[in-house]
Amino acid sequence: MLTHRDEIYRYAWRMVGDAQDAQDLTQETFLRAYRAFERLEPDSNVRAWLYKIATNACLTFLKRRGRERMVTLDASASGLAVQTETPPDVVGRLELLREVAEAVEALPPRQRAAIVQRKYQGLSYGEIAASLGCSEDTARAHVYQGLRKLRAQFRDESEVRHG
Amino acid sequence: MDKNPRTPQDEKGKLMAWLGDEAPRDSQAEPDPILSALDALWAEGPPEAALETMREALDGWWAGQRLVLYYDSLPTPIGVVYAAVTDQGVVSVDFGLADEAAYLEHLREHHLSKREVAYVHAPERVAPVTRQLGEYFRGEREGFDFPVDLRRLTDFQREVLQATSEVPPGEIVSYKEIARRIGRPKAVRAVGNALGRNPVPILIPCHRVVPTDGSLGGYSGGGGSKTKARLLALEGVLPGERGLYAPT
Repeated sequence: MLTHRDEIYRYAWRMVGDAQDAQDLTQETFLRAYRAFERLEPDSNVRAWLYKIATNACLTFLKRRGRERMVTLDASASGLAVQTETPPDVVGRLELLREVAEAVEALPPRQRAAIVQRKYQGLSYGEIAASLGCSEDTARAHVYQGLRKLRAQFRDESEVRHG
Repeated sequence: MDKNPRTPQDEKGKLMAWLGDEAPRDSQAEPDPILSALDALWAEGPPEAALETMREALDGWWAGQRLVLYYDSLPTPIGVVYAAVTDQGVVSVDFGLADEAAYLEHLREHHLSKREVAYVHAPERVAPVTRQLGEYFRGEREGFDFPVDLRRLTDFQREVLQATSEVPPGEIVSYKEIARRIGRPKAVRAVGNALGRNPVPILIPCHRVVPTDGSLGGYSGGGGSKTKARLLALEGVLPGERGLYAPT
């Protein structure tokens, strides 16, 4: 079971954007899984099952955190540590990243989960549906609607800024 | 006016291509600043140092959780005998229980610390134990050779059980003798108590320890003294005159 800990941690990290919170959520996921292990059918897909538990834990966490929290972007998460751009580019890039991070924070948590699972965790729509407890069509809709929402938000912002 | 108006169709194609979903052929994967920014935010994942910290914390926590318990059972002349093992060895042998549900309830109550445990019915994991127990009950085996996991016991309990495990079949010794063998000659009652909490009866033959008065003494295994007498008889130890035993 613990063989999936790196993957679940990466998922939690992408979901909540903070190393310590992600670690707590990963531990919570494995604790819940451990307690429920007895009830798991012998042939079950442990990985998918862990995603489902982790998703529930992350969604609960995000709901609690809500929109109150200011987004503090982890410098290491932005990839700035390895950037070789000139300072003005860095500033512009950091600004964009901060905006994206804020927009992501404002997304409905299920859409965020669906995007992360599809694009960065490499899950199929069937697996996403299982982890979110919805149909495949709904899983697909979560991904596309989430992305459209992100893009729309940026289009609005750039109009405001340049208009 | 925008020179290159974006149609919903273009947008969908781009999203599909980025997601790795099947994109329409003519969709151009021209970089989209928003999608690139998402990649910058998430593609790489957490820094290696954070991963390392997490691994250390989780592995330590996991090791502290009390393990998965694997169990199986076998029919014997004294009824169904259940054995439970961890990765470290046998943790419990039980009998005199109505059924598997009663056994699991018994495990929960008697053999576990407060830590969480998962129980798994896993005959293959317990096979060496059940095989040797079967041989023992058929009279084909005297001792057992697999590790016993006594980590949850006190040092004193472990000493008592160690001394008891050295009593061969066909012999019986007194509680007093065990107390003497571990260098605590006055701790006769404590020896009795420690044997009463033997988590692996039969494997550690507490049935071979009896009082000096020739009676059979107590037996905490399922079926009580009757089972104790049965096990001793199986090993060729029968009571003498007036049903009394003669321990060393």
